[in-house]
Amino acid sequence: MIRAMRILASNPLSLVGLLLVLLITFAAIFAPWLAPFPTHNGAVIDFAFANKGPSARNWMGTDLVGRDIFSRILYAYQISLMLGIVVLAIATPVGTAIGLIAGYVGGWTGSILMRIVDVFLSIPPLVLAIAMMGVLEPTLTNAMLAVTVMWWPWYARLVYSIARSEREEGYVLAAEVIGAGTMHIAFREILPNCLPAIITKMTLDMGFVIIIASSLSFLGLGVQPPTADLGSMVAEGARYLPDSWWLTVFPGLAILVAVFGFNLLGDGLRDILGVDE
Amino acid sequence: MTSLLDIQNLKLNFKTVQGQVEVLHGIDININAGEKVALVGESGSGKSVTARIILGLLQELRQARISGEVYFDGRDINTMKPKDCAKLRGTAMSMIFQDPTSSLNPVITIGQQFTEVLRRRNNKLAQAICDEQATRMLNDVAIPDAQRVLNAYPFQLSGGMNQRVMIAMALANRPKLLLADEPGTALDVSVQAQTLTLMRELVNDYQTAVLLISHNLGVVREFADRVYVIYQGRIVEDGPTSALFANPKHAYTQALMNAVPRIVGTGLAKVPEVSDAFLAPRITHSDVT
Amino acid sequence: MSLLSLKHVSKTFFTSSGNVAAVSDVSLDVKEGECLAIVGESGSGKTTLANMILGILQSSKGHIHFNNQPLSSKRTAEQRRAIQLVQQNPMSALNPKRSVGASVRLGLDTYQIGQKSERWQLVEDALEAVGLDPNLRKRAPAALSGGQRQRVGIARALACTPRLLVLDEPTSALDVLVQARVLRLLNTLREQHNLTYIFITHDLAVVRNVADRVAVFQSGQLLELATTSDIFSKPQSTYTRQLIGAVPVVDAAELALRNKLAKIAS
Repeated sequence: MIRAMRILASNPLSLVGLLLVLLITFAAIFAPWLAPFPTHNGAVIDFAFANKGPSARNWMGTDLVGRDIFSRILYAYQISLMLGIVVLAIATPVGTAIGLIAGYVGGWTGSILMRIVDVFLSIPPLVLAIAMMGVLEPTLTNAMLAVTVMWWPWYARLVYSIARSEREEGYVLAAEVIGAGTMHIAFREILPNCLPAIITKMTLDMGFVIIIASSLSFLGLGVQPPTADLGSMVAEGARYLPDSWWLTVFPGLAILVAVFGFNLLGDGLRDILGVDE
Repeated sequence: MTSLLDIQNLKLNFKTVQGQVEVLHGIDININAGEKVALVGESGSGKSVTARIILGLLQELRQARISGEVYFDGRDINTMKPKDCAKLRGTAMSMIFQDPTSSLNPVITIGQQFTEVLRRRNNKLAQAICDEQATRMLNDVAIPDAQRVLNAYPFQLSGGMNQRVMIAMALANRPKLLLADEPGTALDVSVQAQTLTLMRELVNDYQTAVLLISHNLGVVREFADRVYVIYQGRIVEDGPTSALFANPKHAYTQALMNAVPRIVGTGLAKVPEVSDAFLAPRITHSDVT
Repeated sequence: MSLLSLKHVSKTFFTSSGNVAAVSDVSLDVKEGECLAIVGESGSGKTTLANMILGILQSSKGHIHFNNQPLSSKRTAEQRRAIQLVQQNPMSALNPKRSVGASVRLGLDTYQIGQKSERWQLVEDALEAVGLDPNLRKRAPAALSGGQRQRVGIARALACTPRLLVLDEPTSALDVLVQARVLRLLNTLREQHNLTYIFITHDLAVVRNVADRVAVFQSGQLLELATTSDIFSKPQSTYTRQLIGAVPVVDAAELALRNKLAKIAS
């Protein structure tokens, strides 16, 4: 732990990433208290202040119906983070379990599992999500479902390739000779050696999930108005560029900060977890 | 006689997360032109980092602090510019590694790799001359069908064959010094023995000086004229091979010698745990035997 | 009495470039309590043979009997427990992400040895039996030296209370001083626990000092099988003489032996 802190401290960029991630999490959790206009997350109309640039009252300006953009960004982070966490909380275990079994057991079982994975990987992710959303109702739950379906195969691939190489290690042979069960070897012996890569990928993926979710909202397929979402905010404002620049620039920056933060942290974690103590 | 390699009071510090660690505590090594010298020690004794310092590879590392002098052919490698040092490698000094197959480039034919090596010395060398020299070198390492080997990729050749190719390449530019780091340890015993004999004959012919780095006392005895024993970053004993093996004087050398299992079956020696006597001052056997 | 008996055992691998006979028609007996060395270079089939004895590979032909019972493709827990392995590379043999103790405990949990509450004590006993500090059980393998890790590997096998240990080049990755200590430990353990060893190695100097009998393998075939002193005083095959001749030696007595063998050869 102390060593991890030292490495983090000696790598300023990953420290920046950690701070950004903490900041965003803090903002999302305490949005109701931090937001100057908590009610602006919903259907509020205040034409007196509609489409105004940044000012002392509205730091990031207001949108077309007069809602405070800063407040809406704080609330939008709630959605983004929740989406990322839910997607990864489902996709990671599913993908990991499939990849582990395919990688360790190998043979026919492994081939069949990995061909299924390949089918999912061969469809462009956004297209798959859009197709799913076309069939299903465009709600937040369905958006999460769509992103999850396109996400787990990547974990299966990652874990599969690690498990394949770990399988050749002496400790796996030792466990086999002792007579330990397949599940014990896969989940108790091999899985711990995959965890650093999985955790690193999860951190990096938080950023990507946020982008994909925003893209879906941008296309009108994700979170529905009046709920605040970074992607739909950018989409709505895009028509009013460059005059009402604050409508797009601040939500856009918010996406950038989140993605950037998770990526920097992910890179740092890769350095820390990559080396064996 | 002036020496080809003269290492004086070489110290090496590594900066780690925990702080400074001294790996070499001031070692002196001397190699004359054409002389075969061995540096023998256990893993972690500092023998491999010494080779990397001689090659000028560790000097570029930010975490490494090196002091002392490493004179090669009259010039101090420690104060040399990295670019000048790089020019020496592969020309005036070259190296052979433990695992020959993984130290050759797998996607380039042996012939092309030879050409690259030869052009390090003279980059305008014509292809025909390169091929001719390569063929001659391969014949020297007892590879008769040189043409087939030159057109082959390393994975198409056996480990022993690759080891010979490595030796031929390392000697292609007639270096003054050859560094051999545990050569052939990855190979079968019989192949290892053959390549070692071959290497000894070649360097004798070419008058190439060798620094053999090894943990195997038998290999060292059969190859080297003179031996340095290194323990925990200190040279503990040195002298002509015959004198040192006939009468090891330092407690550590004695323990090491005792621990080697003998094919005459004298049983397993009882090895002392790390003792203070291992850190006793250096003992040098006189050169006159 | 023979503990392990191989009768006409063969193993053929099917590869894209044709069938390869890794082990062909090997018959040999391993006597209870002896140390049988299996000597050979790469491609001699010694590792394939070991894997068949351990049950990792199934033989293509022939039978293996252990304790007068045939070893089928489905071994009983008792049979698996009785034959254990010590590997060559102490770096990879221990799971880097699990504590030393967890690795040693694996066999105890698998075979339900002792009460659950006693098992950590048994782990510590096993570590002490191989000359390690029992407190090391909470450490990660990375915190241990090569010699210590190899001892953990031995403790892990011993914890299963086996009757036969397959030692696959157990000291060839170790330094000379450490090798000498581990070899002595193995000798002591054999006496204390009444173990039988199959000692796989390419190092004839080690063989000379630990083995009772030696089986020399070349290209999957058993070339020569004799007592250790016979192998070294009157080797029958040219290959065995070559192998002995290739050992780098350190003293005059060894040189004399090598010269004597060279004379017999010519």
